[in-house]
Amino acid sequence: MATKKLRRAKLSQELCERLSRYQITTCQDFLCLSLLELMKVTGESYRNVQKLLRKVSLACAPKMQTAYEMKVRRSINPSAAFLPTSLHSLDKVLHGGIPCGSLTELTSPPGCGKTQFCITMSVLATLPVSMGGLDGAVIYIDTESAFSAERLIEIAGNRFPTYFDSDEKLFCMTRSIHLYRELTCDSVLKRIKSLEEEIISKKIKLIIIDSVASVVRKEFDTKLQGNLAERSNFLARGASLLKYVAEEFSIPVILTNQITTSLSNGLAIPADLVSPAHDLSLSEVTGASGSGKKESACVTAALGNTWSHSVNTRLILQYHDLLTRQIVIAKSPVAPFSTFFYTVEKSGLVLQVIHS
Amino acid sequence: MQRDVGSLPLSPALRARLLAAGFQTAQELLETGPCGLSKEIGISREEALEALQVVRQECAGDAAKTAGGSGSTRKCTALELLEEEQTQGFIITFCSALDNILGGGVQLTKITEICGAPGVGKTQLCMQLAVDVQIPECFGGVAGEAVFIDTEGSFMVDRAADIATACVRHCQLIAEAHQEEDHLQALETFSLESILSHIYYFRCRDYIELLAQVYLLPDFLSEHSKVRLVVIDGIAFPFRHDFEDLSLRTRLLNGLAQQLIIIANDHKSAVVLTNQMTTRFGQNQSMLVPALGESWGHAATVRLIFHWDNTQRLATLYKSPSQKESTIPYNITTFHLLKSFKIIKLRASGLPRCAASTCHPKCRRY
Repeated sequence: MATKKLRRAKLSQELCERLSRYQITTCQDFLCLSLLELMKVTGESYRNVQKLLRKVSLACAPKMQTAYEMKVRRSINPSAAFLPTSLHSLDKVLHGGIPCGSLTELTSPPGCGKTQFCITMSVLATLPVSMGGLDGAVIYIDTESAFSAERLIEIAGNRFPTYFDSDEKLFCMTRSIHLYRELTCDSVLKRIKSLEEEIISKKIKLIIIDSVASVVRKEFDTKLQGNLAERSNFLARGASLLKYVAEEFSIPVILTNQITTSLSNGLAIPADLVSPAHDLSLSEVTGASGSGKKESACVTAALGNTWSHSVNTRLILQYHDLLTRQIVIAKSPVAPFSTFFYTVEKSGLVLQVIHS
Repeated sequence: MQRDVGSLPLSPALRARLLAAGFQTAQELLETGPCGLSKEIGISREEALEALQVVRQECAGDAAKTAGGSGSTRKCTALELLEEEQTQGFIITFCSALDNILGGGVQLTKITEICGAPGVGKTQLCMQLAVDVQIPECFGGVAGEAVFIDTEGSFMVDRAADIATACVRHCQLIAEAHQEEDHLQALETFSLESILSHIYYFRCRDYIELLAQVYLLPDFLSEHSKVRLVVIDGIAFPFRHDFEDLSLRTRLLNGLAQQLIIIANDHKSAVVLTNQMTTRFGQNQSMLVPALGESWGHAATVRLIFHWDNTQRLATLYKSPSQKESTIPYNITTFHLLKSFKIIKLRASGLPRCAASTCHPKCRRY
């Protein structure tokens, strides 16, 4: 919308030509100028400039909808609002499952089951609507080369043995999962930009990026000057593109992230830096210098504060003991903090009930 | 009438021509007339007529101002302001501790900013306020409508519907306990559909759409005169990336703040903004501060910061012209009340649940 050319904003031809002499061709350039600058550039009086501003704003501004219209639209198609994860207690708390139209992030230390979860979700998205799926294709952007097609078939066969009873059905499912291996930040961004067209042509119903953190942390070293800002820029751009695509087509987007330990080297981390869902079990480590200064560390999701604001739902996977892990809902607009225990089996993730 | 030509809101080219021709005051322009003006300066008669109409309007406006009428500047005594402030309503948040530190609730005609870390409850509070502004007057509300401008995409209709259902249920309990005519009458129009239909939702994807929407907001508010709350959820998000020119950002934000102040005053509505937190690295510590820089801190009248203390959520009143700085704990709850109804509302932990008979202090009947 910002790059909309002024002549499509219904301004007169001569005015557009006059403005292009000052390099003002898009709505963005027009709206960023102050009133006095606009008067100078357009040569119009104060009243007329305000009328022009209103015209250009009308061309850029979003359409109004009431909350009631949104609710009615959702209730017409209730199954399209969520993708159930087939972990029933989790789905109940999340009011249905992974929400469509927003970004969901999955964070965990290595080996907890992020990729397993993503593979399970890919299978679920290809199932017909009657079985709780979205009956569509999946785009899987893999930056760690961790995707295994054999595991995909194993999970599908074990989780839904009655549905995937023939090889034919398995091949049909695997045909609708489109895998892209991207190894640099630039290629990931390019892939995200091309998503809009792919979604329309291939009827995609789920986007998975596994993982965002590995490719970003490979290329940006935040100790070097300027890298922090560039990294935030890249992440923010990626996030807004993904949000646009998610909302426009009303599909879920799942991203995976890593855990980082933030050491503070004698600086006190204020308690309000992390929410209680973050694991503080590594805190209070004494400094190596032996000077007695406390070096508190805590485990948080990587990629920084700005990224945490960009995602709408955050699920954290953690180790509980040797075999069981737990899944924590850390951030969600519809669900409170909850914890569920699970193990990774042949059929993917299976919820367990722990009796203490 | 003696107004200088250079100060008139005409187009710059025309102004330059008039000054070059030797015109000095508005009086001279009016005396010359359109035909004379067009011949002297070399512009068409229509353009001259248009210019004279602008001049006449300006002078009429000036005369009205000097005569003490209501122009664009308002004059009144502090006593009138006091009376106005005392009769003004607040938008209650259903969390009495939060309302207490705010001095009754979110104030109309003021800008309130809510800052906080991700996941702390800012969008929840905004959705709550968008529902609470619609509470009828007999229940202690301001009976207004709400505009919700969303830049982050975190508005969830289902959650808003839950909050609205809880609010309706709460009012029904009050009405049942007191059985008054106007309560039952008000409840007929106060339902889930009416609440949701009066939340006007705009989804702005970048800062240009946000700027455009705020330019169009005065017209929208004139058409929908019952709007008493404008929420911008995520004023920081569109301005925090892709901005190389920080001075442009400061200028745009200041312009935005000014327009919002004008909107808040002219339409007697409350403006609520949510901001993100950013990490600032100091010499001794790294701390979380509200985003968008120091100068943005001047934009809001009242600033609330939401943060954590172990597992407890806290709200701190950081800046307010009339209330003392203080911190209170709060919770976001969902619990069952009366069989199948779920009431979801902000509630101060430790304080008893809002029972129908001991309702909010703003409900003057209780």
